[in-house]
Amino acid sequence: MSLSEQVRDGIAREMAKYPKKRGALLPALHLAQAELGHISVETAKELAEVFEIRPIDVMEVVSFYNMFYDRPQGRHHVYVCTNLPCSLRGARTLMRGIEARLGIEAGETTADGRITLGHEECLGACAYAPMLRVGGTYHEDLDLEKAMQILDGLE
Amino acid sequence: MPNVSIDGVEYEVAEGRTILQAIDDLGLLMNGVDIPHYCWHPKLSIDGSCRLCQVEVEGFPKLQIACNTPVKDGMVVRTQTESVQRAREGVMELLLVNHPLDCPICDQAGECKLQDYAFEYGLSHARTEEPRRALKKRYDIGPTILLDQERCILCRRCVRFCREVPETSELAVFARGDRSTIDVHPGVELDNDYSMNVADICPVGALTTKDFRFKVRVWFLDDVPGVCTGCSNGCNIHLGVASNKVYRYVPRRNDEVNETWICDEGRLSYKAIGAPDRLDASELRHADGRVETVRRDQAITLAAAKLRSLIATQGAGALAGIASAHATNEDLFTFRRLLDALGIESRACPVPTGRSDALLIKAEKAANAAGARALGFGDPAPVLDRLRGGGLEGAIVLGHDLLGPLGPDVSRLGSLDTVILIDTHHSELERVADVVFPARHAAEKLGTLTNHAGRVQRVQPALEPPFEAYAEGEILTRLGEALALPGFEADWDPRAVSKRMAQEVRAFAGCDVDSVGDSGKPMPGGSA
Repeated sequence: MSLSEQVRDGIAREMAKYPKKRGALLPALHLAQAELGHISVETAKELAEVFEIRPIDVMEVVSFYNMFYDRPQGRHHVYVCTNLPCSLRGARTLMRGIEARLGIEAGETTADGRITLGHEECLGACAYAPMLRVGGTYHEDLDLEKAMQILDGLE
Repeated sequence: MPNVSIDGVEYEVAEGRTILQAIDDLGLLMNGVDIPHYCWHPKLSIDGSCRLCQVEVEGFPKLQIACNTPVKDGMVVRTQTESVQRAREGVMELLLVNHPLDCPICDQAGECKLQDYAFEYGLSHARTEEPRRALKKRYDIGPTILLDQERCILCRRCVRFCREVPETSELAVFARGDRSTIDVHPGVELDNDYSMNVADICPVGALTTKDFRFKVRVWFLDDVPGVCTGCSNGCNIHLGVASNKVYRYVPRRNDEVNETWICDEGRLSYKAIGAPDRLDASELRHADGRVETVRRDQAITLAAAKLRSLIATQGAGALAGIASAHATNEDLFTFRRLLDALGIESRACPVPTGRSDALLIKAEKAANAAGARALGFGDPAPVLDRLRGGGLEGAIVLGHDLLGPLGPDVSRLGSLDTVILIDTHHSELERVADVVFPARHAAEKLGTLTNHAGRVQRVQPALEPPFEAYAEGEILTRLGEALALPGFEADWDPRAVSKRMAQEVRAFAGCDVDSVGDSGKPMPGGSA
């Protein structure tokens, strides 16, 4: 799948905002990922052409930020906070439980493409630990059963 | 220019340099002022990532990294205080947290900065119990290099090198923090004309060359200063020699010639020295085509006799002297003297050519083409015309670079009355030569080579050939002696010849084998 005209126009508009066009690489990656779901090696190649840099320069940035994905993702991003306060409240056991129930490990996607599971660093909800987020929605004060109810309700 | 005090000594340094650069400019880095460093490299951009070069700068509340702190007039720098020492220990401990400490099976051992600095600043045991990172080992990232991600300390020298020197950018740091790794882009190998330099600049055993890996432990190697003979750039090198064998070339810093780099082709050109096709004996070719191996002196006597009778019957005008752009200035100066003494005026030097680039690789694929020209051995076209058109009856030939321009006319050479060949390697030319002498490679003799820019640089014997071989100049001297020419009686002494050449040939004034030193000297008149 290649970059649409819309995305290309968007990138051109972003580029105009920066003294060097390479400065627009981050907004460009957001635009590309919003459309394509992840930044594949092929997408990196297309972006590299647009920015007149090398594909490796694009993938370096993709790999640096954890909000960019270099492989196809599930329809829902489920991130379990495993930072210290959540861990003290059982987040790691929760994570292992979710992994066992979904049959995948953190960083992987279920075979049906429904859920991509991941670790998350602190999301500022320590008072309601342990917690996870589904996309932009927080779910707090969890145990495994509550969490699985939420996950089972995802399309 | 700012004045800076370093460990209590005042120095005048250049404006706009950082502390580490200024110390390097003064020639003091690790040579009087010891500031350990990994990521900083004199010929790469500043990264500031390893944090090992921290020093005390008066007026700053905390230690500063010497590599990226600009000098200022009146600055007071201390590099050996207790707090600096403690910082180095701390940085070393962190760098070693994930290092596998597999020195016994690591080929970098012995020339590893991690090993050296750990010895100097490291703790004797690890305080961390957590498992070390498990990453890719023996990872084939291209035709010349293997990567061990576990040993990498992420100094990024290799990444910057590929971006800044060959400008090919094959390497990058992926992910971040404690998950960072050096890697290539999927489907793109580390493959450029200078790729093996990454192994030289890698301070640890993460990047090693496939060519040198596990061939010999580096502490068995003698590093002999020399010059790469792959092209006319004359990159300065160290020849790594053990048990009379060259195991590798590594670049030797010369900011006037090759900075700290060498191309891969030149680096691997050491293989020609110990190649199986080296000419290893004097040979005579009989009229029936039979080749006989003889002692050198017998070959000299016969070659002299053939030359003498040819000159007596046809005159010296029927002969030509073909020089080799691989021979030293001293060899070619001796050749010139011999041709002068015999009255042979037809002279030339064929120079093989090939690909070039804007960095180091030059089109002339011989180390001494400029020296040959300065000594009067020029374009071979007129001699080749004479050879093809007749009028030539004999030739003294050094090397086999004539084969290129000669093409299929090599058989013409066979029809000459006398062909005397002095060469390092077997070639088709041998079949048309009457007498063949084995020559020494530039790594096996003392002398000078003149690079494309007219810089006279020294080579010296790094090894003894394991067979009979002589400098071209020595064979030509013995030939001169056998012909009873005046001035050819003495034993071959390249040092004396070099001094005489520097006196007699204006182009080489002041450029003898001793006065050029290890880093060479430009010819007074510039490039020939």
